[in-house]
Amino acid sequence: MQGVPPAMLEFIIQNNIVCHAVEAMLFASISCAILGVIITQVQISSIGFTMAHAAFAGAAVGMFLSLNVTICAILAGVCVAFLIGPLAEKARVSPDTALGLLFGISMAVAIFFIAYMQTLGQGFSAMGLLFGDVISLYREEIYLLALISVVAVVFVVVLYKEITGIIFNKRIAESVGIRVKPVYYAMLFVIALTVALCLPIIGGLLIYVWLVTPAAIALQFCYRLSAMFLVAPIVAAAISVSGALAGLEYSLPVAPLTAVLFSVVFIAAVFLSPKRRVTFRKS
Amino acid sequence: MTPTDPIIRLENVYTAYEGSDRPTLTDISFSVGRGEFVVVGGPNGAGKTTLLETINGMLPITHGTATVCGHDVRNEGVRVRCRVGYLLQNFAFDPLTPFTVEEVVLMGRFGRIGLIRKPGKEDHEAVEKALHLLGIEDLARRPIGHLSGGQQQKVLLAQNLARDPQVLLLDEPFSNLDMFARESINKLLSRLVASGIAVVIVSHAFDDLPDCRVRVVVMHDGRISLDRECLPADVGQVDGRISLDRECLPADVGQVIRHAGSAPCYA
Ligand SMILES: Nc1ncnc2c1ncn2[C@@H]1O[C@H](COP(=O)(O)OP(=O)(O)O)[C@@H](O)[C@H]1O
Ligand SMILES: [Mg+2]
Repeated sequence: MQGVPPAMLEFIIQNNIVCHAVEAMLFASISCAILGVIITQVQISSIGFTMAHAAFAGAAVGMFLSLNVTICAILAGVCVAFLIGPLAEKARVSPDTALGLLFGISMAVAIFFIAYMQTLGQGFSAMGLLFGDVISLYREEIYLLALISVVAVVFVVVLYKEITGIIFNKRIAESVGIRVKPVYYAMLFVIALTVALCLPIIGGLLIYVWLVTPAAIALQFCYRLSAMFLVAPIVAAAISVSGALAGLEYSLPVAPLTAVLFSVVFIAAVFLSPKRRVTFRKS
Repeated sequence: MTPTDPIIRLENVYTAYEGSDRPTLTDISFSVGRGEFVVVGGPNGAGKTTLLETINGMLPITHGTATVCGHDVRNEGVRVRCRVGYLLQNFAFDPLTPFTVEEVVLMGRFGRIGLIRKPGKEDHEAVEKALHLLGIEDLARRPIGHLSGGQQQKVLLAQNLARDPQVLLLDEPFSNLDMFARESINKLLSRLVASGIAVVIVSHAFDDLPDCRVRVVVMHDGRISLDRECLPADVGQVDGRISLDRECLPADVGQVIRHAGSAPCYA
């Protein structure tokens, strides 16, 4: 394979397919876990959830129309993020209901096009959108994933003060002079971007596991936010890479296997958490 | 802005909440000078909280002009909030909140520090000073969610002091505090006022105020129904604490306050 740029982990992992899969999972898990800490702590899980499914619908439409799947997914995710507020206001429904509406529409669109593509004989690639596909990745896609994990890290490092303020309390953040609105929308934008890029690897039905579980695991052990921002991506990367290696070794579907691994680790973390123990001793 | 200019100046201000067909504040004209201590009273729903949030620009002003610390509140709300402390009403944090007291107090300076820049030595010193002023240095490393309601309230007050504010807006700060804490915070407030900070405090406890000149503002239905300075001579001394003399307040104020359901104890 001369003329092809070398894979980044090629020196450690000989097999090219395995190498690409591991790299993809590594980068996807890092960016999802970092943003997952934000999503769970700002308590916008339902926004993340709805954006993930909208991106999924966008990708399905893009695939059907033979457009760039990633760009369609990004557009759909971003649109939803920016529609929630106005929709809630104009339709006089609660943001919660607005999200429910958008989620329903997203799923309907996605399922419609995936089912339709199956009747046209394009079922295989459509299934990839649902459950993820780490085998048939292009080199460029992996570079893009590496880039988005860098974007996620830089976003959190640069706007750390503002993000912690919003996590603490949006109204208090506003009262101390933080520009809450622009940072909040930037947050939603980066989440939409990440979700859309990770979608083809992890799949529209599972991406939520990558967003929420690492943060939930980190929360079992961390008392401080800064620790969560470190622990979540490390745990996510370790689980995702193990899942990819095991899945490819035993020919199991990688993303679902890894999702199960995440849940197992989460349950173990709940039992091992020091937060539920009373360490008081009467001397 | 000269030192004698009012630090808060509202002129014919109307404020309305989104989707509301009538203003919550109606034609408010209200100025506060440096080192002035203003107590705002009135029944629930009179617009006291709304008045504070209009002053610091968290609520949009629909008509009129507001200038605070030399900045136009409408266009430079963020600048105003970097100089104005605002203690929100009724806050309680979940035990899982992943912030220590120190981190919460440091947050008070985030607006001043500005985008991208990191907190420096000066900021950490301001945090220590604020913790010291409230006597809660020993809580610095505790998670805020593990503290009692009154302790949390002190932490939030420290957060506002860490900002070196020129104006301090306090929304019912005494609701969770015990008698000793009230007394020590009242002492602290009178020192702050003496140093030139303007304090606007929403409170029902008119009998429990710091030892300084007090201006009483009573709101009713989105309007200011009484605005009167009480000279120290008008104020009766009880048990070392200050309470407003009955004669100091016109009869209607007593009515207004009694409507609120709280029973202010006059000397
Ligand atoms: N978010 C809101 N949306 C609409 N109306 C509000 C909102 N918050 C308060 N109000 C109304 O504004 C009026 C003043 O409220 P507020 O300033 O909180 O009163 P208080 O004097 O008890 O602090 C009340 O009549 C209340 O119904
Ligand atoms: Mg109020």
